[in-house]
Amino acid sequence: MSDAAPGPVVPAPGGAPDPTTTSGAPALAISGLRKAFGQKVAVDDLHLTVPTGSFYGLVGPNGAGKTTTLSMATGLLRPDAGTITVLGTDVWRDTVKAKSLVGVLSDGVALFDRLTGEQLVTYHGLLNGMDRETVAQRTGDLLDLLDLRAAGGTLVVDYSAGMTKKIALACALVHAPRLLVLDEPFESVDPVSAANIRDILAGYVRGGGTVIVSSHSMDLVQRMCDHVAVVASGRVLAAGTTDEVRAGSTLEDRFVELVGGRQHNEGPSWLHTS
Amino acid sequence: MVAHLLRLRFRLLFNGFRRSTWQLVGAIIGALYGLGLLAGIVVAMVGLSFADAEWGRAVAVLAGALLVLGWLVVPLLLRGFDQSLSVAKLRSFPIPPRRLLVALLVVGLLGVPGLVTLLASLSTTLSWIGEPVAMLAAPFAALLGALTCVTASRALESVGASLASGRRYREVMGVVVFVPVLLLGPLIAVVGGSVASIVDDLPSIAETVSWTPLGAVWSIPGDLALGDGGAALAKTGIALATLGVLLLLWRRALAVSLVAAPPSSGGSSRAKGLGAFGLFPATPTGAVAARTAVYWLRDPRYGGSLVALPVLVVLGVFLSVTGSDWFLVALGPLFGAVLGITLCAEISYDGTAFAAHLSTGLDGVADRAGRVLTLALFSVPVVVLATVVPLVVLGRGADVPAILGIALGLLLTGFGVSSVASTRFLMPVPAAGESPFKTPPGSTFKSQLGMYVAWAIVFALSAPEIALGVAAVITGELWLGLAALGLGIVLGGVLCVVGVRRGGAMLDRRGPELLASLRRTQGA
Repeated sequence: MSDAAPGPVVPAPGGAPDPTTTSGAPALAISGLRKAFGQKVAVDDLHLTVPTGSFYGLVGPNGAGKTTTLSMATGLLRPDAGTITVLGTDVWRDTVKAKSLVGVLSDGVALFDRLTGEQLVTYHGLLNGMDRETVAQRTGDLLDLLDLRAAGGTLVVDYSAGMTKKIALACALVHAPRLLVLDEPFESVDPVSAANIRDILAGYVRGGGTVIVSSHSMDLVQRMCDHVAVVASGRVLAAGTTDEVRAGSTLEDRFVELVGGRQHNEGPSWLHTS
Repeated sequence: MVAHLLRLRFRLLFNGFRRSTWQLVGAIIGALYGLGLLAGIVVAMVGLSFADAEWGRAVAVLAGALLVLGWLVVPLLLRGFDQSLSVAKLRSFPIPPRRLLVALLVVGLLGVPGLVTLLASLSTTLSWIGEPVAMLAAPFAALLGALTCVTASRALESVGASLASGRRYREVMGVVVFVPVLLLGPLIAVVGGSVASIVDDLPSIAETVSWTPLGAVWSIPGDLALGDGGAALAKTGIALATLGVLLLLWRRALAVSLVAAPPSSGGSSRAKGLGAFGLFPATPTGAVAARTAVYWLRDPRYGGSLVALPVLVVLGVFLSVTGSDWFLVALGPLFGAVLGITLCAEISYDGTAFAAHLSTGLDGVADRAGRVLTLALFSVPVVVLATVVPLVVLGRGADVPAILGIALGLLLTGFGVSSVASTRFLMPVPAAGESPFKTPPGSTFKSQLGMYVAWAIVFALSAPEIALGVAAVITGELWLGLAALGLGIVLGGVLCVVGVRRGGAMLDRRGPELLASLRRTQGA
């Protein structure tokens, strides 16, 4: 983990601890979660506990149910069964309060991309009920932090894929959430920006926040996250600290071992040109 | 290769049906419509065979020229109305341009519009039943004509596509090009009114048109029937040359677009500062209002929903010039009814970006109220103007309170009804960035149904002020008019607030389900 803190200050997560959230409650606790789309069971009796202050990686093959799980954890998708609490607050009972604690970067969801970057972040801030001065200040900070200041006046629809991810991250951060839920935040982000984002997230965790990240990049998760859960077919196959889960080998090898499906051949013969 | 692409085309079509039954229903209705049209044409052609050859030719030439024109114009308006086999998607395959051209031509000809065109063209043969020479030539001319239609359309489209890859350009053109077409209705009404006087000129108009690339091919059988072999030969030359030039043009554009880089997002538009976000209050409601205001200005789908308004004005003026004022008198209420209901599509326009409202825990009432606020800011003045100006010009200033009461009542009630309606059902709308007039296939039927239901509810709820207003206009009693005005504002205002509240509560309850169905539509 890089400990070179970046220049601008990351919005401090959470502010004063809320007396009504049970102290010591995990940042995210999921139990018995289930969701089916018609015949297809996407999430099947999933249990997961994300300790407060952890940098949690969620890895799994395509279609493992990562996005579905994270959507349900952030109040975007109604589960069929199970309970989800964020810092002791039930997401589907006390929805508004739970949502105020969480910052979300969703994968496969459009942004209001006819706004400029600055307008979009401002919009998210105002939707969270923040006042104009705070929103303006934080929007500025976040644009600087993510190196988007110059693009602040450009419509988001004209952004590159990586810039779009970064502005979405700024939207997720603007209300200083206690828990940050990021679905594929590094997809199509260039290496330099990815490193910057990693630094920002590491700083956020050091400041007391909790981050949960889904990713396909085992390497990245192994270096970045202190906790990891391997998900496949809607279930958690292994969870714990990164060292526990990888059990001496690399996370990638351990992942392949757990999930299976690796093919040991070199493809059909016609593919070999020489 | 050709067969392969053709199979792909139909596979895409049928897979689309499997996704959505409504799409299938829409397609069946479309096909029935096409068949009905075709049956009408066939009957007309048989009828024409009993008429003078001169007339057969005139009708064929004029209708044919319009057909070619239609093939040229419609795809420009419904940009991407059939993008299932766009060149951009086929670019990565190693297909020589010449073969691709032939394949696309056949695919175009065997689509629904292509088949209807082909059959309609072939049916002109029937109008020459009495003229053996013309009857022999007609099928060939018809085939040539149908090919010209498809080629012209495709050529113009690919030339246009290489010109217009900038997003802003596309968006603006999408709206601008549509306005004259909407005016076509009133225009036809004008022409229709005086058609009796020009009916005698039709053959001579046709004579002129038949020497242009648009009409030449359709005139060949007619000329043969009239015994003018020289003209028929010359027109065959014109028709073949037209087709040749179009093919060449298309091939050129195709070759260019096959090697061109994928269209980039185009020039970046920039804006300074926060724009509307600095003007509206810094509350969640204000933020939604500001965001909606930005979208009304920047997203062509929003503005596109208003093109009906100028059309109404033109229609009203036209009707009043020809002697009946009622339409112009009712202009304000019509504006009110149209504008009030536009909110119905808003969540559908948001698409999955609506997730932002959901994940921030935005109060449903704030969502509804913000959208109503922006719409009200410009629609109330517009409705007032549309009511007052025509009445004053017509010298019926005394009717202003009554009509204004009806108009504002309809507008405000419309706000309330559409605030609830848009949380109940999603309108199939073109996705962000697509042409505002692109209708998702098979969607028209369902969305029209939803619209009509919403309208029926609006009119039913505004019945008191409508009754009072109409009574005031008939009796000419000023106090009745003032009562209608008061009732319209108060009742409409109450219904608007109730609608926003109920819609907001519904949104709080059904938000995740709404997002789930938005995701499904986006995937379509």
